[in-house]
Amino acid sequence: MFEVLIDQFWSLTIAGIALGFIYVLISLGYTMVYGVLRMINFANSEIFMWGTFGTVITNRDIFHYTQTSEPAKGWKLALVLISALLMSMFVAALTAVFVEFVAYRRLRMKGTNRLATLISAIGISIALAELMRLLTDSRPVGSPRVLEKMILTEVWGANIRLDTVVTIIAAAIIYILLERFIQLSRMGKAIRAVSQNEDSAKLMGVNLNRVITVTFLVGGLATGAAGFFYITVFEYTKFNIGFTMGLAAFTAAVLGGIGNIRGAFLGGLSLGLLEVYASAVLGTQWKAVTVFIVLVLVLLFKPNGLFGEAVQQTRA
Amino acid sequence: MNKKVQRSLAVVSAAALVFGVSAVSSATAAPKSVSLAFQAPLTGSNALTGQDELTAARFALSEYNATNPAIKVELVIADDQGLADVAALLAPGIASNKKIIGLIGPAFSGATQASLPAYKAGRLPLISMSATRVSLTDRRAPVNGFPIFKRVVANDKFQGPALARYAVKGVASPSVYLVDDKTAYGKGLADYTKPNIAKLAGSDSVPENTSDYTSVVAKVKASGANVVIYCGYAPDAAKFVKALRDGGYTGIFAAGDGVLKATFPNNAGNAAAEGARLTAADVPFEDVATPAQMVAYTKLTGIKVPGSYVTSTYNATNIFLACIKQGIVTRAGMQNCLTNGSFKGVAGDTIRFDRYGDIIGGAAVGAFTIKAGKITYLGVA
Repeated sequence: MFEVLIDQFWSLTIAGIALGFIYVLISLGYTMVYGVLRMINFANSEIFMWGTFGTVITNRDIFHYTQTSEPAKGWKLALVLISALLMSMFVAALTAVFVEFVAYRRLRMKGTNRLATLISAIGISIALAELMRLLTDSRPVGSPRVLEKMILTEVWGANIRLDTVVTIIAAAIIYILLERFIQLSRMGKAIRAVSQNEDSAKLMGVNLNRVITVTFLVGGLATGAAGFFYITVFEYTKFNIGFTMGLAAFTAAVLGGIGNIRGAFLGGLSLGLLEVYASAVLGTQWKAVTVFIVLVLVLLFKPNGLFGEAVQQTRA
Repeated sequence: MNKKVQRSLAVVSAAALVFGVSAVSSATAAPKSVSLAFQAPLTGSNALTGQDELTAARFALSEYNATNPAIKVELVIADDQGLADVAALLAPGIASNKKIIGLIGPAFSGATQASLPAYKAGRLPLISMSATRVSLTDRRAPVNGFPIFKRVVANDKFQGPALARYAVKGVASPSVYLVDDKTAYGKGLADYTKPNIAKLAGSDSVPENTSDYTSVVAKVKASGANVVIYCGYAPDAAKFVKALRDGGYTGIFAAGDGVLKATFPNNAGNAAAEGARLTAADVPFEDVATPAQMVAYTKLTGIKVPGSYVTSTYNATNIFLACIKQGIVTRAGMQNCLTNGSFKGVAGDTIRFDRYGDIIGGAAVGAFTIKAGKITYLGVA
């Protein structure tokens, strides 16, 4: 039962960490909005899905890569990857801000109850997914390979592949930048102020609407970056991938303690590793079962998630 | 037909009786017409299958109409997206249209199963061109298609062993890793493939729409398998084969007809898809049709290389048309004709159905491979 885990431990671990970082970035989209609004951004899964198309369009339509073309090298590679990353972040951030304007802002101004906002968010999420279904004829879209998946080195029998290394390093950098932005910048402080006490923050002269828009924007940027890494690793997208990935990332956010940025980080990584280990030991059909049993167990003993206790002090 | 129309027709016919007016002579002079329905996914992620099949039904019908027959045939096209829930909503409408005396399809097994209650109630004869699930013609199955369901495609009971045979062909000491996608189709095919594998290195079930195949790849590598058989559909097979190749697996990748789609090499990339061994209960139309037929087919559809199940759809349509040529214009007559008749396939084969709807002697399973991103037919598996 455990021989696969032992035999392939390091390959599984590295793949799990890369997948975990993708979850971390998506779960930031959930956790930031929750921290500020106390509401789940149900459209975040579709923001991610739209973000993946940003990378596909950059690779396929702007730089004209096809399934038969050679992977890029050197400066060209850096140019294509960075453009695709920025494009995905741009598309996702734009979608996120759009969601905020359409599904949240007006209802909030009117002072409607939370359920109305919840439904409008679910509504816009379905609309975004169905729109993409129409645009792509419901077909899966493969992305041409830009980054060659060459094996850099072998560590303890595990192949260290370029795409996973790039994903882990770049995603970690993006995470740190975002975290620092929230901790140190003026806007970041305003976001934290609103998340701790909305009324006091308003009295201190914080522009609430601007803070909320920026929160969606930053969450969208992180989610968009996740879309880029997803395409780089899996080279595939479809109108409905948001659902499974979004659900997993939301689980990661809850696991770590929703509303807490460091919680999202640890929750995402734990979930990524848990998924690959569970699939390797028990069989892939047991993955979802294992993940959700662990989630329920964690919530039974720590109802606020692994790091939820710290929410009031260090919520960011 | 709505109630108002029915009532007004009743009034008209009553009037005809009272006044002794006979419209019969003029009615027989005009050519009779009947309809055949066609049910397959025409939109959605499996739209390609249905669109390919539709070209064959259209082509068979155009050949028929070109002979200026006594009974005109119209095609009623129904899009079930290959989904059981859509099919279940669609079927009662088709069943209630009495002009329809036969149905080409449904294309997918799940959709067929969901449509059966309505069609059985309406006694509408079906000939499927691609529904391969064994239970549909299994007399012991709780839900089978008896008596209305027939198919001109080999069921998975035949495809499973052929897939197992073809996957290991020419491989020295084959060791097979079997993966299914947990769908009714994938699991079913895997169940019929498994007993025919001499040395099974391991197996796994990866739910449809999974993104990350890392752990399966790790298991395949740990098991030391040199042949991987995947039972599932093309979009997932593309992700899986890519992950296998990127993970350093160099052995054989084989899969069933669910993967035999142009989208498979397109999404997997030519390098990863190269050499994949695929089976299908289908032989390419261009290999069995006459050159003149191919020219006519291309002229009608604009397609140079026919897609999958064109041969079987063409056969299914022609079987219905052969019965209509004999003057059959009712569902009961059609049922009788299909059950007792003997038909010619496009390849010159004789098609007769057994009591439960399969072709007597079994339909052929074709062996295919991917060469430079193109699906290539090799022969019978």
